[in-house]
Amino acid sequence: MKLTLPRLGNIEVAYETIITDMGHELIEPPPNSKRTLDLGVRYSPEYCCLPLKIVLGNFIEGLELGAEVLLMAGGWGPCRFGYYAQVQRDILIDLGYNFKMLIMELPRGNWKTLWDNINILRNGKKWSYFANQFGLAWQKILLTEKLENKILQVRPREKKKGITSRVFADTIVKIKKAKDREALKQIEREALQQFDEITDFKKKNLIRVALVGEFYVSLEPFVNHHLEEKLGYLGVEVVRKNSIRAWVEPIVNLHLFRENIKDEKEIEQAAYHYLAHSVGGEGQSTVGNVVLAHQEGLDGAIQVIPFTCMPEIVAETILKKVSEDLDFPTLTLTYDEQTGEEGLNTRIEAFIDLLKMRRRKGVMVS
Amino acid sequence: MKKIRIGIPYALYFYEYYPLWKEFLTRLGAEVILSKPTNKNILDLGVRSSLSEVCLPVKIFYGHVLSLADQVDYILIPRMVCVEKGAFFCPKIIGLPDMVKSSISTLNSLLVPLVDVRKPYGTWKNSLFQVGQLITDNSLAISRAFSISWENFQKNYVANLLDPKLLNPSLLAKDTKNVAQGLDKMTINININIAVVGHDYLVNDSYINLNLIDKLKKMNVNILTPSMVPPRIVKKQLKKLYKPIFWSLSRKAVGAALYYFENKVEGVIHLTSFECGEDSMVGELIHHQSKQYPEVAYTEFVFDEHTGEAGINTRLEAFLDMVRRKKQYEINFAPSR
Ligand code: SF4
Ligand code: SF4
Repeated sequence: MKLTLPRLGNIEVAYETIITDMGHELIEPPPNSKRTLDLGVRYSPEYCCLPLKIVLGNFIEGLELGAEVLLMAGGWGPCRFGYYAQVQRDILIDLGYNFKMLIMELPRGNWKTLWDNINILRNGKKWSYFANQFGLAWQKILLTEKLENKILQVRPREKKKGITSRVFADTIVKIKKAKDREALKQIEREALQQFDEITDFKKKNLIRVALVGEFYVSLEPFVNHHLEEKLGYLGVEVVRKNSIRAWVEPIVNLHLFRENIKDEKEIEQAAYHYLAHSVGGEGQSTVGNVVLAHQEGLDGAIQVIPFTCMPEIVAETILKKVSEDLDFPTLTLTYDEQTGEEGLNTRIEAFIDLLKMRRRKGVMVS
Repeated sequence: MKKIRIGIPYALYFYEYYPLWKEFLTRLGAEVILSKPTNKNILDLGVRSSLSEVCLPVKIFYGHVLSLADQVDYILIPRMVCVEKGAFFCPKIIGLPDMVKSSISTLNSLLVPLVDVRKPYGTWKNSLFQVGQLITDNSLAISRAFSISWENFQKNYVANLLDPKLLNPSLLAKDTKNVAQGLDKMTINININIAVVGHDYLVNDSYINLNLIDKLKKMNVNILTPSMVPPRIVKKQLKKLYKPIFWSLSRKAVGAALYYFENKVEGVIHLTSFECGEDSMVGELIHHQSKQYPEVAYTEFVFDEHTGEAGINTRLEAFLDMVRRKKQYEINFAPSR
């Protein structure tokens, strides 16, 4: 079966392990590009949120390369994401494509669909093998995220501009090819060592900014215009508050990952005074994470949101108040298909200047 | 003793739930003050106090809240999360009380009962009870007020539902070719059924929709709305979809649209707000379904605070022209069944 999936950050490190190794043919969608965006925008309803458009672009590019099956995640609201697959399917059918869509979501009542979908993926391989490969894929994602978080500290301190991203790109290729957990451990050790070599440890007391907001936009560099890199080059250390891990764990199994549920509770608690109820998506976490970022002594927070994103508009409204109450600077960046590089850079630089100025004043006072 | 004055913003979900709250609170001896129907002043207040990215209906809600602020002791903004199994309200409605609180610092007393029927403490009864306790200590009186108001609310809901006869003239015209051929243009007009679907607060707020309903009435059109379709039928219609819709407000709109398509009304107009997350998705679904009914004219009108009346007039006329032409064509050429 020729199978394709959407892109998101470096998530493709896991694709071979769960697709190719099961005996399917993986059609890797081309990296997100202007063309992906254009295709998605052309065929999506105009007012849909940006992630839907880009993922639609991925699917079209995958179908062009011969994919027969599209693999997509689902959900049950209250946010739009749970309806993405349905709308994308309608659009692709109208465009005349022939395909099957496998939607992975926790079922409502009917577990058979999920069961069937899993069996299609398993493709007659032994359950133990299937489980093992899934475990390995998950380890790859965890390692990738761990290193992604690490380079947020390395990049603003790198000895030579751009070297961090290059080293990291090599590491990603290695993770992709890794065949077992041992190999992953080896890769991790090597990467960490390399990172140490390229870090200038004399650079201390950098400006630190929390990155919060909608899941997809915050984790997909093409869509957020490489925000983390930009900030890194401005000498800013980014603290990323979203992760695939935190997104998947509560869905997959509430019992296996107790520790993470604790994190979630803590974020909820922090938000409670301002937003007392979950509003779907990352709305409440955005608010909670900004409050926590303030407690952790960060300099400010940047919220990234797709235009018309419902939960994040709730959060944005509330962040105005949070920021005022706590005297904690926040910047909201709204992305759509027209977002231009220059305007974005100007706003980011102005915000960082503001944070630096506050630091200087703070130092003088104390 | 002075009566407690409780303000209810005449916007968003209150188009559906106002009668329930009004009767309940009044029975307990509170004075209920409903804000005025949306007007320019209310819109301006709302636009000024909210973020520009927010959808028009929420901006207008802000305006209503502000217009009540100095007339009442409390403003009621229930947190509507879930009123039926498997469906939620939109994220902005769930977060509405917190949004209002954050943006309008001058407000002191909001009443924010939770309505989430999945939770024992979020049932309608508990939710109203919470508010009732503010007015009186007499639990028995609260219980009684709840039962009566709830019963009346259900009754009125049923009373407003569609009388299936309403649809008949059109079916008649189509089925009996001979009769229809004899009709002059005027009579045909009267037989035109147009379904106006969308969230209640778009269909019923004539300030938001720029008097659309009145305009249609003047054009001698028979108007059908989502509120006329019984929940049972909505449920059945939604089964046609590949995946159930998990937004309560949109379920009604989509179910009604599908029902009216199936009954071959002459036209369906879907009202949406710019920047509404639900509408952007269900608009696509309705549009996709409409293709199966080429005999039903379909269009979508998008509203925000900049929508001009002139534009709407032109589009409405063009739409009705199309409906009439389709109808004329069918009367002349369609084979009789
Ligand atoms: S969180 Fe925002 S961007 Fe994501 S699906 Fe929901 S509305 Fe769209
Ligand atoms: S359903 Fe749409 S119009 Fe209504 S509050 Fe939500 S986003 Fe706004």
